[in-house]
Amino acid sequence: MKEKSNNLLLDLYPSTKFLITLFIIITVFIVKGYLYGYLMVPLCLLLALYAKVFKELLGLLIKTLLVLITFIFLIQSFFYPGDTILWSWSFLSLRQEGIDFSLLLTSRIGAIGSALLLFFRITSVKDIVYSLEQLGLPSKVTYVVLSTLTIIPEMKKLSMTIMDAQKTRGVETEGNLRVRAKAFLPTLTPLILTSVASTEERAITLEARAFTAPVKKTSLYRIEKTKKDTVVRILLLLLLIVIIVWRVAL
Amino acid sequence: MSFIQLKNVSYKYPIGKGDVLKGINVKIEKGGFYALIGANGSGKTTFCNVLRGFVPHFYKGDLRGDVLIDGKDIREWEMGELAQKIGFVFQNPFTQISGVKETVFEEIAFGLENLGVDVDIIIQKVEEVIGLLGIDYLRDKNPQELSGGQKQRVALASIIVMEPEILVIDEPTSQLDPRGTEEIFKIIELMKLKGKTIILAEHKIELIAEKAEQILVFQDGEVVMQGTTEEILTDPQVLEYGAALPQYALLGLEMKKRNWEVGQIPLTEQQAITTVKGLSHPKGEQVCHS
Repeated sequence: MKEKSNNLLLDLYPSTKFLITLFIIITVFIVKGYLYGYLMVPLCLLLALYAKVFKELLGLLIKTLLVLITFIFLIQSFFYPGDTILWSWSFLSLRQEGIDFSLLLTSRIGAIGSALLLFFRITSVKDIVYSLEQLGLPSKVTYVVLSTLTIIPEMKKLSMTIMDAQKTRGVETEGNLRVRAKAFLPTLTPLILTSVASTEERAITLEARAFTAPVKKTSLYRIEKTKKDTVVRILLLLLLIVIIVWRVAL
Repeated sequence: MSFIQLKNVSYKYPIGKGDVLKGINVKIEKGGFYALIGANGSGKTTFCNVLRGFVPHFYKGDLRGDVLIDGKDIREWEMGELAQKIGFVFQNPFTQISGVKETVFEEIAFGLENLGVDVDIIIQKVEEVIGLLGIDYLRDKNPQELSGGQKQRVALASIIVMEPEILVIDEPTSQLDPRGTEEIFKIIELMKLKGKTIILAEHKIELIAEKAEQILVFQDGEVVMQGTTEEILTDPQVLEYGAALPQYALLGLEMKKRNWEVGQIPLTEQQAITTVKGLSHPKGEQVCHS
């Protein structure tokens, strides 16, 4: 059973969290203008602040989205076809149409990007996998997703062991780029081979633990939908209807 | 009708050159404690794989002869069904972790979850097994970050919790110190008292002499000797097949060779002490140890 964190946002069921993200994604396409889209970025940050993941989300946004948005903005402003030239220098010319278009495009990218990043910050993979399994995704698929997460640190540990082993056999693994490149093959090959070989035993382990037993599995880990989920879902639906009506009426 | 019966079983791995098992005839009775001994590469592990159905369901290869589990041929059993019937613990503890669980408690529960047992019962059974194996101090640890010996205990716990009728255990103590080994043997003995059939491949011969009822000696893919522990482990022939004898039996055999009157060859520490205490030296002096 999942422990309650007493944080409204964190305690929501994974699919409810996803609905929030989906709501933002849909509405940025319905609402006209770029202001709404840009407003979604601070809104996501606000939600992140509430869920105590503000720093992580901000870091991610700056590292990924900001770079992407700046780049798209520059390219589109200068190269989008149009007649209203605002400023030009040799072959480059800044056009009003380009600016309008890039504002709209980047606002949407910003909103969608931050909504998705927020979702993955406030939902653990374990929760996502659990809710997918409840929706009927085969347990083999969810096993692959979950085990990948543990395999990465395992492989890192293994590669360290292999590097040490190869060092004792006289393979140079430290030094300039050429030395390192040379060490690449003798460390990578055993890493891949060992990983493949241990897969066989992992498969036997799963068999021994009745993974393929022809019964419906149960789960110690449980997340339950609460009243809060229903309230949030209804609120989102109402908001969506309001926005659609408002958009059609105008 | 025996519980498990192998009739003239031979097996060759898909990419192997020759037969790994050759014409094996073995009967295993319900509730017995069978130990498999023999040199490395003599076929013990493959034999275990046959019993659990990994041969031929998982490793393809060429299996000849009949393997009957509870009267039904191994080829007709479903792998999922066998999981409930036969528990299997194998040598390498590092790969015997599911890899999707964050705590030892959840790791042990994994098999029961797969069997669709109710959550309340799972929790109760896992608690019981954790108590039984004395691994309470591990319950909240990440199974990936345990030592080899700890992983071995968790692996055994994860299988025992599923309460199979038959336990096939392949060298469960390879990573354990003498105390840990003794603890594992105690647990195996407990399982036997609960009426489980136990098939154990193991090199620690002194412990086998103390606990096992029947011994199968393997050499080059053949079962070269089989019988009760008393018969087999006092027979110097075993040494010629590359397996070991308990040091107490070796002592007894050596004394017998020198025409000392030892009577029954001792198997365990207790028996050896009794033998030595009751021993009269050929010259008539009493050799006595306290």
